[in-house]
Amino acid sequence: MTTQSKSLTREEADAFGRELDALRQEVIADLGKRDLEHIRQIIRTANRSEAAGRLLLHFGFGPLSFVLGTSALGLSKILENMEIGHNIMHGQYDWTRDPALDSLRYDWDNVCTGDDWRHSHNYEHHTFTNILGKDRDIGYGFLRVAPEQPWRPVHLTQPVVAALLALFFQWGVGAHDLRVDELFAGKQTPAELAKRARPFATKAAWQLFKDYAFFPALALINAPRVALGNLLANGTRNLWTYAVIFCGHFPEGVRVYTEDETADESRGQWYVRQLNGSANIEGSRWLHVLTGHLSHQIEHHMFPDLPAARYPEMAPRVREICARYGQGYNTGSFARQLSSVIGRIARLSLPGPKKTAKATRVVPEEAATPLTYRAAA
Amino acid sequence: MISIQETGTGWRSAGSVVARRLLLDRQAEFWMGELDPVRSRAEIRARVVAVVEETEDTKTFVLRPNAAWQGHRAGQYSSVEVEVDGVRVRRCYSISSPPGEALVSITVKRVPGGRVSTWLHKHTRSGDILRLGTAAGDFVLPAATPTKLLLLSGGSGITPVMSMLRDLAARDAIHDVVFVHHARSRANVIFGEELSELAARHAGLRLVLCLDDEPSAPRGFEEARFANLVPDFAKRSTFLCGPGPFMDRAERLWENVGASALLERESFAPTTAPARMVSSVEGVRVRLARSDRAVAAKGQGTLLEQLERAGERPAHGCRIGICHSCKCRKQTGTVQNVVTGEVSSEPDQEIQLCISVPRSDLELDL
Repeated sequence: MTTQSKSLTREEADAFGRELDALRQEVIADLGKRDLEHIRQIIRTANRSEAAGRLLLHFGFGPLSFVLGTSALGLSKILENMEIGHNIMHGQYDWTRDPALDSLRYDWDNVCTGDDWRHSHNYEHHTFTNILGKDRDIGYGFLRVAPEQPWRPVHLTQPVVAALLALFFQWGVGAHDLRVDELFAGKQTPAELAKRARPFATKAAWQLFKDYAFFPALALINAPRVALGNLLANGTRNLWTYAVIFCGHFPEGVRVYTEDETADESRGQWYVRQLNGSANIEGSRWLHVLTGHLSHQIEHHMFPDLPAARYPEMAPRVREICARYGQGYNTGSFARQLSSVIGRIARLSLPGPKKTAKATRVVPEEAATPLTYRAAA
Repeated sequence: MISIQETGTGWRSAGSVVARRLLLDRQAEFWMGELDPVRSRAEIRARVVAVVEETEDTKTFVLRPNAAWQGHRAGQYSSVEVEVDGVRVRRCYSISSPPGEALVSITVKRVPGGRVSTWLHKHTRSGDILRLGTAAGDFVLPAATPTKLLLLSGGSGITPVMSMLRDLAARDAIHDVVFVHHARSRANVIFGEELSELAARHAGLRLVLCLDDEPSAPRGFEEARFANLVPDFAKRSTFLCGPGPFMDRAERLWENVGASALLERESFAPTTAPARMVSSVEGVRVRLARSDRAVAAKGQGTLLEQLERAGERPAHGCRIGICHSCKCRKQTGTVQNVVTGEVSSEPDQEIQLCISVPRSDLELDL
């Protein structure tokens, strides 16, 4: 479902934002034991699944225990990266004051460092979502996922490049905040890049050691089997997270914004942009948990620091508010959204269609309440 | 030459770095907790083994702490943390049991509106797990026990001096101790029975109870009655603990007779009263505890803007309250969240600088 969103005046957008703020407050007031028990239950499931996977890989023989072990390990990695790591690092559980759930202290089982992720994702991507030139997540700087991005001959290769990125997704995510493209553009010296890359290189080295030396060594004779199991579990996690994340922002109907358009955006307009820059995936409770509730990308972008397990119950309310303001709500099955993304990546590898971002709306100076909050007197 | 102990510490810290890098520390902590919820490498946890009703509004929680607990000295307190509706909240309580025992007791009076004390009274049962802090406080018996002692308490302020008395009794060191306790009525005397038994057993202990409901008795601490009951008070090493006004009044008496040097007062008091709120930000002082600098707020603006205006460069990101990069611990003072209007007055709370305005002088962990 991709109905075109009506263009809202600043006043309309602000009223829209106030309704969403009210919903946000309602959920915050209701946060409690249930949310804590949910995340602890997921952590328990992930840890048990990891233990089961490792036991099967380390002590099992034959293909059945290998498949089961690898699947269990892959499942635990998916849960840890998505519902646990991603969401904790967003600050969704900071209100509990449990140090194990602290956004700034948590580090996930992924080659991307927690600090790099907090910067490139929590701050840059979630603040400047889908603003061309500011959100480095739009095609990650090398894929053309919106017709507004100028076509270059290198985009001809993007179906292959996108497939490779899927296989090695954690490495793409890990290197994202290094801004390697700025080296070629002359905005970063090799020395700066080397300094910036050090935490990533350290963490990646430890991760490689963990998955392909430490755990295989513990398995003695089963070492090759364990190393292969770890590789496949990491690969499964890569493909899954890639698919989920691409479905969140790149299906047909999701729009991008220009810097001019968003220059003096209000909080209400920020909400409108989060809505029109995101897309949801429909599915069962377990699909939502396995995506870390990024299947509710729209709700996640509106309320990135609310416990994600609340998104399913917020979604009908959000959808109702969107309908009243004439805003489209991009949602569909996993197959539909994924095929839409694949089609788009293929189509945009070729030049066209001709589309330039909309002209800037002029907003009277006095109506502007800049995005940065001013304290009430 | 490196000593064996240093080598041991070196290996241990190297081991903990490796464990952290391999994400094994988190898993070890998880499985430890799964096997036995009281076990932990990161926290001092204690299992509640008994709950004793002392008076109508006071309960003693007898705890068995895990190996991380390093013991206490008689008179010290510890923080106690509980999860109230999913949120961890912490308060300090004096330890009422004597040192050197496997079990540790805290004695808690239910404070109307007090989140932690109410939670402990209503929800905490035998078998539950509480989290403790390291025992702390200078209100302790000196290593060499003074020959003449006075333990002076009011209400729930009896808890640290009870630990001292129990310690002395256990060491058979009660030579000349006067224990003066103030309470509303006999039924409100915490540890009443045990005090009587100790007084009966130890000739060196004189127990004096000052009860508000006795005929023609003054309420609380009163100088004339007290001087009459303990004429040599100014010559005794004295340990004082009770409600604030009670201690202030007693302290003045010691000042007047020039005996303050012999008076130890429990300085720990629960901070329940929030700092007075100011409506204008102008002139509010923000102390940055870690860098030991202070900033005075100028004009309007969030804490992030105020700090930047003063030349500070605190970590931050989105500036709209969504990315949590500017999260920091507010040690004391009151701030208001400009998005929700919520006011935070409790000490040691995490706040977001970019959406908080100061509403009193502040101390930040920056």
